[in-house]
Amino acid sequence: MRVRIWGARGSIPAPGPHTARYGGNTSCVEVTLSDGSVLVLDAGSGIRDLGSSCAEVDLIHILLTHLHLDHIQGLLFFAPFFRPETEIVIWGPPVPGRSLRDRIGRYLSAPLSPIEIRSLPAKVSFRKCPAKEWEIGSARIRAAPVKHRGPTLGFRISDADTSLCYLPDHEPGLGVPLNDVEPDWISGFALAERCSLLLHDCQYTDEEYSGRVGWGHSRVSDALLFAHRSEAEQVLLFHHDPLHTDDELDLLHRQAGERWLAVGGPAGELAMAIEGSEIDLRTDGTGYAEGPGLAPS
Amino acid sequence: MAIATEQKPIELILARSLLDSLHTPGCLIDLEGTLVYYNETVAKLAGISFEETGPMSVAEWGEKFGPFDEEGRHIPFDEHPLTLAVRDGRAGHYIQRFRSADGGDFEVAVSAIPLVGTTGFEGALVFFWPARGR
Repeated sequence: MRVRIWGARGSIPAPGPHTARYGGNTSCVEVTLSDGSVLVLDAGSGIRDLGSSCAEVDLIHILLTHLHLDHIQGLLFFAPFFRPETEIVIWGPPVPGRSLRDRIGRYLSAPLSPIEIRSLPAKVSFRKCPAKEWEIGSARIRAAPVKHRGPTLGFRISDADTSLCYLPDHEPGLGVPLNDVEPDWISGFALAERCSLLLHDCQYTDEEYSGRVGWGHSRVSDALLFAHRSEAEQVLLFHHDPLHTDDELDLLHRQAGERWLAVGGPAGELAMAIEGSEIDLRTDGTGYAEGPGLAPS
Repeated sequence: MAIATEQKPIELILARSLLDSLHTPGCLIDLEGTLVYYNETVAKLAGISFEETGPMSVAEWGEKFGPFDEEGRHIPFDEHPLTLAVRDGRAGHYIQRFRSADGGDFEVAVSAIPLVGTTGFEGALVFFWPARGR
Protein backbone atom coordinates (compact mmCIF):
# COMPACT_ATOMS: atom_id res chain seq x y z
CA MET A 1 0.00 0.00 0.00
CA ARG A 2 1.39 3.37 -1.01
CA VAL A 3 0.21 6.56 0.68
CA ARG A 4 0.71 10.01 -0.81
CA ILE A 5 -0.19 13.25 0.90
CA TRP A 6 -1.81 15.78 -1.43
CA GLY A 7 -3.06 18.09 1.31
CA ALA A 8 -2.43 18.10 5.06
CA ARG A 9 -3.79 21.50 6.04
CA GLY A 10 -6.94 21.89 8.10
CA SER A 11 -9.92 24.22 7.89
CA ILE A 12 -9.00 26.37 4.89
CA PRO A 13 -6.24 26.39 2.28
CA ALA A 14 -3.23 28.33 3.46
CA PRO A 15 -1.03 29.12 0.45
CA GLY A 16 1.95 31.41 0.63
CA PRO A 17 5.64 31.61 1.33
CA HIS A 18 5.22 30.88 5.05
CA THR A 19 3.49 27.53 4.45
CA ALA A 20 5.35 26.35 1.35
CA ARG A 21 7.32 23.54 2.98
CA TYR A 22 4.43 21.75 4.71
CA GLY A 23 1.95 22.81 2.06
CA GLY A 24 -1.25 24.79 2.12
CA ASN A 25 -3.77 22.42 0.54
CA THR A 26 -6.55 20.95 2.65
CA SER A 27 -7.05 17.25 3.37
CA CYS A 28 -6.49 14.79 0.57
CA VAL A 29 -4.58 11.51 0.69
CA GLU A 30 -4.10 9.07 -2.18
CA VAL A 31 -3.84 5.39 -1.34
CA THR A 32 -2.65 2.97 -3.99
CA LEU A 33 -3.49 -0.60 -3.03
CA SER A 34 -1.42 -3.68 -3.72
CA ASP A 35 -3.69 -4.59 -6.68
CA GLY A 36 -3.33 -1.09 -8.16
CA SER A 37 -6.74 0.18 -7.06
CA VAL A 38 -6.85 3.85 -6.12
CA LEU A 39 -8.59 5.26 -3.06
CA VAL A 40 -8.75 8.95 -2.28
CA LEU A 41 -9.30 9.96 1.32
CA ASP A 42 -11.15 13.27 1.42
CA ALA A 43 -11.48 15.85 -1.30
CA GLY A 44 -9.92 18.98 0.11
CA SER A 45 -8.10 21.36 -2.21
CA GLY A 46 -5.24 18.86 -2.52
CA ILE A 47 -7.38 16.70 -4.79
CA ARG A 48 -6.93 19.19 -7.62
CA ASP A 49 -3.27 18.29 -8.10
CA LEU A 50 -4.04 14.60 -7.61
CA GLY A 51 -6.57 14.79 -10.42
CA SER A 52 -3.97 15.76 -12.97
CA SER A 53 -1.74 12.87 -11.94
CA CYS A 54 -4.26 10.04 -12.33
CA ALA A 55 -5.43 10.52 -15.89
CA GLU A 56 -5.06 6.83 -16.67
CA VAL A 57 -7.14 5.54 -13.76
CA ASP A 58 -10.57 4.27 -14.85
CA LEU A 59 -12.11 3.70 -11.41
CA ILE A 60 -11.54 5.96 -8.41
CA HIS A 61 -13.07 5.57 -4.97
CA ILE A 62 -13.29 8.76 -2.90
CA LEU A 63 -13.89 8.17 0.79
CA LEU A 64 -15.14 11.24 2.63
CA THR A 65 -14.76 11.37 6.41
CA HIS A 66 -17.36 14.14 6.59
CA LEU A 67 -18.73 16.99 4.57
CA HIS A 68 -17.10 20.04 6.11
CA LEU A 69 -15.96 22.32 3.33
CA ASP A 70 -12.24 21.69 3.77
CA HIS A 71 -12.88 18.01 2.97
CA ILE A 72 -15.01 18.48 -0.16
CA GLN A 73 -14.00 21.85 -1.58
CA GLY A 74 -11.69 20.27 -4.19
CA LEU A 75 -14.37 18.07 -5.76
CA LEU A 76 -15.30 20.54 -8.45
CA PHE A 77 -11.67 20.82 -9.53
CA PHE A 78 -10.93 17.09 -9.73
CA ALA A 79 -10.09 16.50 -13.40
CA PRO A 80 -11.40 12.88 -13.58
CA PHE A 81 -14.94 14.22 -13.05
CA PHE A 82 -14.67 15.67 -16.53
CA ARG A 83 -13.64 12.45 -18.29
CA PRO A 84 -16.65 10.43 -19.52
CA GLU A 85 -14.71 7.15 -19.38
CA THR A 86 -13.92 7.49 -15.67
CA GLU A 87 -16.05 5.93 -12.97
CA ILE A 88 -15.98 7.62 -9.57
CA VAL A 89 -17.59 6.20 -6.46
CA ILE A 90 -18.00 8.63 -3.57
CA TRP A 91 -18.42 7.11 -0.12
CA GLY A 92 -19.53 9.17 2.85
CA PRO A 93 -21.00 9.06 6.34
CA PRO A 94 -24.58 7.80 6.64
CA VAL A 95 -27.04 10.40 7.88
CA PRO A 96 -30.78 9.81 8.23
CA GLY A 97 -33.00 11.89 6.00
CA ARG A 98 -31.01 13.25 3.11
CA SER A 99 -28.92 11.21 0.71
CA LEU A 100 -25.17 11.71 0.37
CA ARG A 101 -25.72 12.96 -3.17
CA ASP A 102 -28.22 15.58 -1.97
CA ARG A 103 -25.93 16.80 0.78
CA ILE A 104 -22.91 17.13 -1.52
CA GLY A 105 -25.24 18.68 -4.08
CA ARG A 106 -25.71 21.63 -1.77
CA TYR A 107 -22.12 22.54 -2.61
CA LEU A 108 -22.07 21.34 -6.21
CA SER A 109 -25.01 23.44 -7.34
CA ALA A 110 -26.03 27.06 -7.86
CA PRO A 111 -25.29 29.55 -6.49
CA LEU A 112 -22.11 28.01 -5.01
CA SER A 113 -21.06 26.15 -8.15
CA PRO A 114 -21.40 26.73 -11.91
CA ILE A 115 -21.73 22.97 -12.50
CA GLU A 116 -24.14 20.50 -10.96
CA ILE A 117 -23.54 16.84 -10.25
CA ARG A 118 -25.74 15.67 -13.10
CA SER A 119 -23.65 17.72 -15.53
CA LEU A 120 -20.39 15.97 -14.67
CA PRO A 121 -19.25 13.83 -17.63
CA ALA A 122 -17.82 11.04 -15.48
CA LYS A 123 -19.93 8.16 -14.18
CA VAL A 124 -20.42 9.29 -10.58
CA SER A 125 -22.22 7.34 -7.88
CA PHE A 126 -22.71 7.92 -4.17
CA ARG A 127 -22.74 5.32 -1.41
CA LYS A 128 -23.13 5.43 2.33
CA CYS A 129 -20.26 3.76 4.16
CA PRO A 130 -21.60 0.51 5.62
CA ALA A 131 -21.47 -0.13 9.34
CA LYS A 132 -19.63 -3.39 8.68
CA GLU A 133 -16.29 -3.91 6.99
CA TRP A 134 -16.38 -3.98 3.19
CA GLU A 135 -13.96 -4.50 0.35
CA ILE A 136 -12.59 -2.24 -2.33
CA GLY A 137 -10.02 -3.82 -4.61
CA SER A 138 -7.53 -5.70 -2.48
CA ALA A 139 -8.38 -3.73 0.67
CA ARG A 140 -10.78 -4.27 3.51
CA ILE A 141 -12.28 -0.97 4.65
CA ARG A 142 -13.68 -0.30 8.06
CA ALA A 143 -15.46 2.96 8.90
CA ALA A 144 -16.62 4.11 12.31
CA PRO A 145 -18.12 7.32 13.66
CA VAL A 146 -15.63 9.43 15.62
CA LYS A 147 -15.66 12.52 17.79
CA HIS A 148 -15.82 15.66 15.69
CA ARG A 149 -18.48 18.25 14.99
CA GLY A 150 -21.24 16.68 12.92
CA PRO A 151 -21.43 13.14 11.55
CA THR A 152 -17.81 12.14 10.92
CA LEU A 153 -16.10 8.87 10.12
CA GLY A 154 -12.61 7.53 10.59
CA PHE A 155 -11.24 4.84 8.28
CA ARG A 156 -9.02 1.80 8.61
CA ILE A 157 -7.75 0.38 5.34
CA SER A 158 -6.13 -3.03 5.51
CA ASP A 159 -4.29 -4.46 2.54
CA ALA A 160 -1.70 -7.24 2.32
CA ASP A 161 -0.82 -7.28 6.01
CA THR A 162 -0.48 -3.52 6.26
CA SER A 163 -3.03 -1.08 7.61
CA LEU A 164 -3.63 2.64 7.43
CA CYS A 165 -5.81 4.49 9.92
CA TYR A 166 -7.06 7.90 8.82
CA LEU A 167 -8.45 10.24 11.50
CA PRO A 168 -7.92 13.74 10.11
CA ASP A 169 -10.55 15.52 12.21
CA HIS A 170 -10.75 14.01 15.63
CA GLU A 171 -10.98 15.15 19.24
CA PRO A 172 -10.84 11.90 21.24
CA GLY A 173 -9.79 13.66 24.42
CA LEU A 174 -12.92 15.81 24.64
CA GLY A 175 -14.46 15.26 28.06
CA VAL A 176 -12.45 12.14 28.93
CA PRO A 177 -8.98 11.50 30.33
CA LEU A 178 -7.34 9.58 27.49
CA ASN A 179 -4.65 8.14 29.71
CA ASP A 180 -6.92 5.95 31.80
CA VAL A 181 -10.30 5.51 30.06
CA GLU A 182 -10.97 1.98 28.77
CA PRO A 183 -10.00 1.47 25.07
CA ASP A 184 -13.54 0.67 23.89
CA TRP A 185 -14.64 4.07 25.20
CA ILE A 186 -12.01 5.94 23.19
CA SER A 187 -13.31 7.32 19.92
CA GLY A 188 -11.34 5.86 17.01
CA PHE A 189 -9.26 3.49 19.11
CA ALA A 190 -10.50 0.32 17.41
CA LEU A 191 -9.68 1.80 14.01
CA ALA A 192 -6.16 2.74 15.03
CA GLU A 193 -5.27 -0.26 17.14
CA ARG A 194 -1.84 -1.55 16.08
CA CYS A 195 -2.14 -0.08 12.60
CA SER A 196 0.93 0.25 10.42
CA LEU A 197 0.41 3.96 9.90
CA LEU A 198 -1.83 6.42 11.73
CA LEU A 199 -2.68 9.81 10.21
CA HIS A 200 -4.11 11.81 13.08
CA ASP A 201 -5.41 15.29 13.71
CA CYS A 202 -2.93 17.50 15.55
CA GLN A 203 -4.25 20.94 14.79
CA TYR A 204 -3.44 22.73 18.02
CA THR A 205 -0.62 23.17 20.47
CA ASP A 206 -1.66 22.46 24.05
CA GLU A 207 -1.60 26.19 24.76
CA GLU A 208 -3.92 26.97 21.83
CA TYR A 209 -6.31 24.12 22.69
CA SER A 210 -7.51 25.70 25.92
CA GLY A 211 -9.43 28.26 23.85
CA ARG A 212 -10.68 25.72 21.29
CA VAL A 213 -12.06 22.86 23.36
CA GLY A 214 -14.97 21.20 21.55
CA TRP A 215 -14.03 22.52 18.12
CA GLY A 216 -13.45 18.94 17.00
CA HIS A 217 -9.65 18.87 16.78
CA SER A 218 -6.81 17.54 18.87
CA ARG A 219 -4.04 19.15 20.83
CA VAL A 220 -0.57 17.69 20.52
CA SER A 221 -0.63 15.84 23.84
CA ASP A 222 -3.94 14.11 23.08
CA ALA A 223 -2.84 13.11 19.58
CA LEU A 224 0.32 11.55 20.98
CA LEU A 225 -1.46 9.83 23.86
CA PHE A 226 -4.03 8.41 21.45
CA ALA A 227 -1.29 7.19 19.10
CA HIS A 228 0.70 5.66 21.93
CA ARG A 229 -2.27 3.89 23.54
CA SER A 230 -3.43 2.50 20.20
CA GLU A 231 0.11 1.20 19.54
CA ALA A 232 0.27 2.59 16.03
CA GLU A 233 3.56 1.60 14.44
CA GLN A 234 4.10 4.91 12.66
CA VAL A 235 2.37 8.24 13.18
CA LEU A 236 1.90 11.19 10.87
CA LEU A 237 0.53 14.33 12.50
CA PHE A 238 -2.08 15.83 10.16
CA HIS A 239 -4.59 18.65 9.63
CA HIS A 240 -2.22 21.50 10.36
CA ASP A 241 -3.76 24.72 11.57
CA PRO A 242 -3.92 27.30 8.74
CA LEU A 243 -2.39 29.88 11.06
CA HIS A 244 0.71 27.76 11.68
CA THR A 245 3.69 28.74 9.56
CA ASP A 246 6.39 26.30 8.51
CA ASP A 247 8.64 27.52 11.31
CA GLU A 248 5.87 27.03 13.86
CA LEU A 249 5.20 23.53 12.55
CA ASP A 250 8.92 22.77 12.84
CA LEU A 251 8.73 23.82 16.48
CA LEU A 252 5.55 21.79 17.03
CA HIS A 253 7.32 18.82 15.46
CA ARG A 254 10.30 19.12 17.79
CA GLN A 255 8.11 19.47 20.86
CA ALA A 256 5.90 16.58 19.76
CA GLY A 257 8.99 14.43 19.21
CA GLU A 258 10.19 15.08 22.76
CA ARG A 259 6.75 14.31 24.20
CA TRP A 260 6.46 11.21 22.07
CA LEU A 261 9.63 9.81 23.57
CA ALA A 262 8.46 10.89 27.03
CA VAL A 263 5.21 8.89 26.74
CA GLY A 264 7.20 5.88 25.55
CA GLY A 265 6.61 6.16 21.81
CA PRO A 266 9.13 4.37 19.60
CA ALA A 267 11.93 6.65 18.42
CA GLY A 268 11.82 7.68 14.80
CA GLU A 269 8.20 6.72 14.20
CA LEU A 270 6.58 10.13 14.58
CA ALA A 271 6.56 12.65 11.74
CA MET A 272 4.61 15.56 10.35
CA ALA A 273 2.45 15.09 7.27
CA ILE A 274 3.92 17.10 4.45
CA GLU A 275 2.26 17.78 1.13
CA GLY A 276 3.93 15.80 -1.65
CA SER A 277 5.43 13.14 0.59
CA GLU A 278 4.88 9.41 0.13
CA ILE A 279 5.06 6.40 2.37
CA ASP A 280 5.30 2.89 1.04
CA LEU A 281 3.84 0.53 3.62
CA ARG A 282 5.59 -2.76 3.19
CA THR A 283 4.28 -6.16 4.11
CA ASP A 284 7.24 -6.73 6.42
CA GLY A 285 5.74 -4.06 8.67
CA THR A 286 8.14 -1.27 7.83
CA GLY A 287 7.39 1.96 6.09
CA TYR A 288 9.59 3.67 3.58
CA ALA A 289 9.21 7.39 3.29
CA GLU A 290 10.01 9.50 0.26
CA GLY A 291 9.62 13.08 -0.73
CA PRO A 292 10.03 16.33 1.09
CA GLY A 293 10.15 16.24 4.85
CA LEU A 294 8.85 13.25 6.74
CA ALA A 295 12.03 13.40 8.75
CA PRO A 296 11.24 11.53 11.92
CA SER A 297 11.64 13.16 15.29
CA MET B 1 -2.67 -6.61 12.62
CA ALA B 2 -6.04 -7.78 13.93
CA ILE B 3 -8.31 -5.40 15.81
CA ALA B 4 -9.07 -6.57 19.32
CA THR B 5 -11.20 -3.67 20.47
CA GLU B 6 -14.79 -3.05 19.49
CA GLN B 7 -15.63 0.63 19.84
CA LYS B 8 -18.73 1.55 21.81
CA PRO B 9 -21.36 3.37 19.74
CA ILE B 10 -20.28 6.99 19.25
CA GLU B 11 -23.56 8.16 20.81
CA LEU B 12 -22.60 6.45 24.08
CA ILE B 13 -19.04 7.77 23.93
CA LEU B 14 -20.28 11.33 23.47
CA ALA B 15 -22.88 10.88 26.21
CA ARG B 16 -20.23 9.62 28.63
CA SER B 17 -18.11 12.68 27.85
CA LEU B 18 -21.13 14.84 28.66
CA LEU B 19 -21.78 13.01 31.93
CA ASP B 20 -18.14 13.42 32.94
CA SER B 21 -18.52 17.15 32.45
CA LEU B 22 -21.73 17.49 34.49
CA HIS B 23 -22.37 17.77 38.19
CA THR B 24 -25.91 16.52 37.52
CA PRO B 25 -26.01 12.83 38.45
CA GLY B 26 -26.40 10.67 35.36
CA CYS B 27 -25.76 7.23 33.96
CA LEU B 28 -25.82 5.31 30.68
CA ILE B 29 -27.71 2.15 29.90
CA ASP B 30 -26.92 0.24 26.71
CA LEU B 31 -29.14 -1.79 24.39
CA GLU B 32 -29.13 -4.85 26.65
CA GLY B 33 -29.87 -2.82 29.75
CA THR B 34 -26.31 -3.01 31.01
CA LEU B 35 -25.31 -0.08 33.21
CA VAL B 36 -22.25 0.88 31.19
CA TYR B 37 -21.32 4.08 33.01
CA TYR B 38 -22.29 6.46 35.79
CA ASN B 39 -20.63 9.68 36.79
CA GLU B 40 -19.08 10.76 40.07
CA THR B 41 -22.23 12.48 41.31
CA VAL B 42 -24.16 9.23 40.99
CA ALA B 43 -21.30 7.51 42.76
CA LYS B 44 -21.87 9.82 45.74
CA LEU B 45 -25.60 8.95 45.77
CA ALA B 46 -24.97 5.24 45.34
CA GLY B 47 -22.08 5.13 47.76
CA ILE B 48 -19.80 3.33 45.34
CA SER B 49 -17.76 4.51 42.36
CA PHE B 50 -17.88 3.22 38.80
CA GLU B 51 -14.20 2.44 39.17
CA GLU B 52 -15.19 -0.07 41.87
CA THR B 53 -18.24 -1.63 40.21
CA GLY B 54 -17.40 -1.44 36.51
CA PRO B 55 -20.25 -2.15 34.07
CA MET B 56 -23.14 -4.11 35.58
CA SER B 57 -25.74 -6.31 33.94
CA VAL B 58 -29.45 -5.58 34.46
CA ALA B 59 -29.63 -8.28 37.09
CA GLU B 60 -26.58 -6.97 38.95
CA TRP B 61 -27.53 -3.31 39.15
CA GLY B 62 -31.19 -4.10 39.71
CA GLU B 63 -30.38 -6.24 42.71
CA LYS B 64 -27.82 -3.80 44.07
CA PHE B 65 -29.55 -0.45 43.55
CA GLY B 66 -33.17 -1.11 42.59
CA PRO B 67 -35.53 0.47 41.74
CA PHE B 68 -37.98 -0.73 44.40
CA ASP B 69 -41.66 -0.07 44.92
CA GLU B 70 -43.18 1.40 48.09
CA GLU B 71 -43.26 -2.05 49.70
CA GLY B 72 -39.60 -2.54 48.95
CA ARG B 73 -40.17 -5.03 46.14
CA HIS B 74 -37.81 -4.99 43.22
CA ILE B 75 -39.36 -3.66 39.98
CA PRO B 76 -38.29 -5.84 37.01
CA PHE B 77 -36.35 -3.86 34.40
CA ASP B 78 -38.42 -5.12 31.46
CA GLU B 79 -41.66 -4.02 33.14
CA HIS B 80 -40.48 -0.65 34.35
CA PRO B 81 -42.35 2.30 32.77
CA LEU B 82 -39.05 4.02 31.97
CA THR B 83 -37.78 0.98 30.09
CA LEU B 84 -41.04 0.74 28.15
CA ALA B 85 -40.97 4.44 27.33
CA VAL B 86 -37.37 4.48 26.15
CA ARG B 87 -37.75 1.32 24.07
CA ASP B 88 -40.74 3.01 22.47
CA GLY B 89 -38.60 6.00 21.54
CA ARG B 90 -40.05 8.27 24.23
CA ALA B 91 -38.52 10.03 27.21
CA GLY B 92 -39.85 9.16 30.64
CA HIS B 93 -39.85 10.76 34.06
CA TYR B 94 -40.69 8.96 37.33
CA ILE B 95 -40.00 9.19 41.02
CA GLN B 96 -38.30 6.02 42.23
CA ARG B 97 -36.85 4.41 45.33
CA PHE B 98 -33.25 3.23 45.10
CA ARG B 99 -30.84 1.68 47.56
CA SER B 100 -27.31 2.87 48.15
CA ALA B 101 -24.35 0.58 48.73
CA ASP B 102 -24.66 1.06 52.50
CA GLY B 103 -28.24 -0.30 52.40
CA GLY B 104 -30.09 2.98 52.90
CA ASP B 105 -33.10 3.68 50.66
CA PHE B 106 -33.66 7.06 49.07
CA GLU B 107 -36.20 8.57 46.72
CA VAL B 108 -35.13 10.34 43.56
CA ALA B 109 -36.74 11.59 40.34
CA VAL B 110 -35.44 9.83 37.22
CA SER B 111 -35.49 11.14 33.65
CA ALA B 112 -34.59 8.70 30.89
CA ILE B 113 -33.91 9.81 27.32
CA PRO B 114 -33.54 7.36 24.43
CA LEU B 115 -30.30 7.63 22.45
CA VAL B 116 -31.09 7.02 18.80
CA GLY B 117 -28.12 7.16 16.44
CA THR B 118 -27.83 6.88 12.69
CA THR B 119 -28.08 3.11 12.96
CA GLY B 120 -30.94 3.07 15.47
CA PHE B 121 -31.54 2.79 19.20
CA GLU B 122 -28.29 2.61 21.18
CA GLY B 123 -29.44 2.92 24.78
CA ALA B 124 -30.57 5.56 27.24
CA LEU B 125 -29.14 8.57 28.99
CA VAL B 126 -30.56 8.73 32.51
CA PHE B 127 -30.52 11.72 34.86
CA PHE B 128 -31.43 11.89 38.54
CA TRP B 129 -33.02 14.86 40.30
CA PRO B 130 -34.23 15.65 43.80
CA ALA B 131 -37.63 13.99 44.26
CA ARG B 132 -39.14 16.96 46.08
CA GLY B 133 -38.78 20.72 45.84
CA ARG B 134 -36.44 22.32 48.30
